[in-house]
Amino acid sequence: MNIFVCIKQVPATETKIKINGSGTGIDTTGVKWIMSPYDEFAVEEALRLKEKNAGSTVTVFSAGPSRIAETLRTALAMGCDNAVCVDTPEEIDSFQAAKCLAEAIRKEGKPDVIFTGKQAIDDDCAQVSQLLATFLELPYATVVLNAEYGSGQITVKRETEGGTIEIIALPTPCLIAAQKGLNEPRFASLPNIMKAKKKEIKTHPMASLGVTDADRKIKLVNMQLPPAKAAGKKLAGDAAAQSKDLVKLLREEAKVL
Amino acid sequence: MAISSLVFLAVVLGATGLFAYKASILFRLAKATKGPVWSGNRMDRLAERVETFFTNVLFQKAVLKKKKAGLMHVAIFWGFMIITIETMELFAYELFPGFSLSFIGESAYATLRLIQELFTLLVLSGVGYAFYRRLVLRPEGLGKSTDAIIILSLTSGLMLALLAMRSFHILAEPNDNNAVMFASMWISGIWQSLGVTPEVASTMAAGFRWFHHLLVLGFMVYIPSSKHLHVLTAAPNTFFRKLETPKGMRKVNLEAEDATSFGAGKISDLSWKDTLDLYACTECGRCQDACPAWNTQKPLSPKALVHDLKDSLYENKLALLSGKTDEVKPILGSKITDDVIWACTSCRACESACPVFIEQTDKIYEIRRNMVLMESRFPAELQTVFKNIENNFSPWAMSPDERDKWTEGLEVRTMAQIAASGEQVEYLFWVGCAGSFDDRSKKVSKALVSILKKSGIKFAILGKEEKCTGDPARRAGNEYLAQTLIQENVNVLNNYGVKKVVTACPHCFNALKNEWKDFGIELEVIHHTQLIAELIRSGKIKPTKAVDEKVTYHDSCYIGRWNNEYNAPRTILASVPQLKVNEIEQNKSNGMCCGAGGSRMWMEEHIGTRINVKRTEQLLEAKAGVVAANCPFCITMLTDGIKTKELTDKVRVMDVAEIVDQATV
Repeated sequence: MNIFVCIKQVPATETKIKINGSGTGIDTTGVKWIMSPYDEFAVEEALRLKEKNAGSTVTVFSAGPSRIAETLRTALAMGCDNAVCVDTPEEIDSFQAAKCLAEAIRKEGKPDVIFTGKQAIDDDCAQVSQLLATFLELPYATVVLNAEYGSGQITVKRETEGGTIEIIALPTPCLIAAQKGLNEPRFASLPNIMKAKKKEIKTHPMASLGVTDADRKIKLVNMQLPPAKAAGKKLAGDAAAQSKDLVKLLREEAKVL
Repeated sequence: MAISSLVFLAVVLGATGLFAYKASILFRLAKATKGPVWSGNRMDRLAERVETFFTNVLFQKAVLKKKKAGLMHVAIFWGFMIITIETMELFAYELFPGFSLSFIGESAYATLRLIQELFTLLVLSGVGYAFYRRLVLRPEGLGKSTDAIIILSLTSGLMLALLAMRSFHILAEPNDNNAVMFASMWISGIWQSLGVTPEVASTMAAGFRWFHHLLVLGFMVYIPSSKHLHVLTAAPNTFFRKLETPKGMRKVNLEAEDATSFGAGKISDLSWKDTLDLYACTECGRCQDACPAWNTQKPLSPKALVHDLKDSLYENKLALLSGKTDEVKPILGSKITDDVIWACTSCRACESACPVFIEQTDKIYEIRRNMVLMESRFPAELQTVFKNIENNFSPWAMSPDERDKWTEGLEVRTMAQIAASGEQVEYLFWVGCAGSFDDRSKKVSKALVSILKKSGIKFAILGKEEKCTGDPARRAGNEYLAQTLIQENVNVLNNYGVKKVVTACPHCFNALKNEWKDFGIELEVIHHTQLIAELIRSGKIKPTKAVDEKVTYHDSCYIGRWNNEYNAPRTILASVPQLKVNEIEQNKSNGMCCGAGGSRMWMEEHIGTRINVKRTEQLLEAKAGVVAANCPFCITMLTDGIKTKELTDKVRVMDVAEIVDQATV
């Protein structure tokens, strides 16, 4: 099988986000970069599928600035066979990213299945998976909790609003976007980390794939941190007094009553 | 040469040959293990090695840590030494009839006889007690052992044969000098009263002499394949022991081009010293008795582990001896399971209890390394910890940007600020992840800052530049991740030219003090209890305010057993006015782990009862309102234990620094 997986490099989950001086993005100094956690489920699923189907290869793709090579190596260390990097400027939008990935994927032959995370945890846009499937004219399922692989068909359980589960069958080739719970991602062993260090990462400059600034659909006007949360208020007195104060505050300050 | 001498010679040569063959296999097996020895050179500092040989082998100091069993062992051990002289004399007599040691002088010979007679009885009483222990008292650590019964039977057989031989000899060849052998004399009286003639007695004496010879030789042949092998291996194992208590984990060269495997996945990955450890164990069970994992129904028994590793060595004998290491089977299997290896809290109670200086923790760490580095095989909870350490430089999911948040309003300066101002400080305060991020431990950090400020000592912290020491990863087997962090930290420390470090975390302390020299930095590292004790001694701080509390002190493993510091915290507590200290029995080197060591802090405790609760119960025996501790993880574990016992409003856990801060102005 030809298994593809797309990943994104994002700041580590505990990073204290700061806005850069020009208000056009985050300040990346000192940021520790990791693979977006949902993408780890995608990589793991790809590797498990490969292990069940002898002779399969897993190719991992990512689009971003040159530092993403490090994250691609993480995927290689987990067990991916090949890595493809699309070298882009720091800020691209979901449309550009999906187009980059689609063009890079086209160069690697026909996929049997493409895995992605359901969204990246940096901007939480959750658009690339669907855009990518659309560009490649593939059926797709997002927020996938479970997948069963039949011949020519994948049956997935996906989470929908309100916590209900939707079960759908997709013909292959198709795209699956992973939700937490799909699997438990593995931890790379030292020999695999060492091997991954030596592997070649195929790199395409964004322009060579025909993706330009003109493809950008979203213009970032300004980026701000949410206002700092004000300290909570502790109500004193007995239960009756507290209730009275609470109602008063909800009506007069919070204006919700 | 008489025919009987020739027969004897043939028997001796045969038995010796068999023994030599069996012993040579053990020797070759030890040589077939290729792993590196922890703490390197075991042949250096000969004077100290000879000294430990005298104290611990000849004078049995470590054995005597346990009184009754120790005395029993001393009787048998010295009996064996003394009576071997007689055995040799009898051997020589058999080869050269008429030979006797009487040439040393009549009175000297009589004294020797008396001593031998006394030790024969001592050995018999020792063995008698050993039988009583095994068959009647049956202490749990000893377990059941057919091997032991055989050995005790052989030993008592030897002594009884000697008594019988001597008693018949006395009857066959009456001599005034025989009176010193009072017990044999008394027995010979019985024979006489039964009408045994000198001729019959002579035959009987020869018979028992031969019986003794055969028992000795049979015993000798039996030893290499029995747990009694320790009579040959305990002495060298003591000689080659790690001489000082503090130790760090062995640095693995991860860059080694030819390395195909890391850690110990197979018995051949261990070292010759590990093999000698396995040979030296006689399954006395002291390690098991002391093991917090075993005592809370975990599948780990250090004794069983050593035994099972020895089995693994023997089971792979053919592959090992033929040099086919790829055919050697993995250590992990039905006997040594993953749960056995992960149950260890690395408290070193086993090593501290072992009378022959076996180093169990080294083996467990090497096995963990193999599991993690080669197979990514570890309890699921550890993956989060590894990821946090990798991404946030702390085992907790906390932002590295908030590492110094606890200092807000305290005016604690960072090394960067110190360097920028061109000043110098005496100490770097290594805060550690717990001291930086854990709410309870932050209070200890603040107390220590307060004490340091009162003392006038100049210090600084690294602030955001500090990262986890990597110790939680290292002790969980993730040497790769640990080394990354160590190296990054070492670079920062070297950059500031840091020489002296104080820390309130015993785990950071042990890593910085005993391990980082392997990574290119020599530091003078002091635990905060040691520094505080010194500040009190030199009068830089004065505990003048009364603390009207009853306190019991809990020794952390990494300050106690790993670094031999039992006094500093106690002298501190003793110096606080009105503070009463109630020690519990399980203290100092006999203290029990809180359950957090060996990265257990980061793992769930699914099996058996909880270690922290058991330890808390021991501490509650002191009937003290305060449990004093010196480690953030002990504090967490014991606080939880007290919560479990629903005694939160009666008993508090405090760091020694917090008590001192309270007592000083």
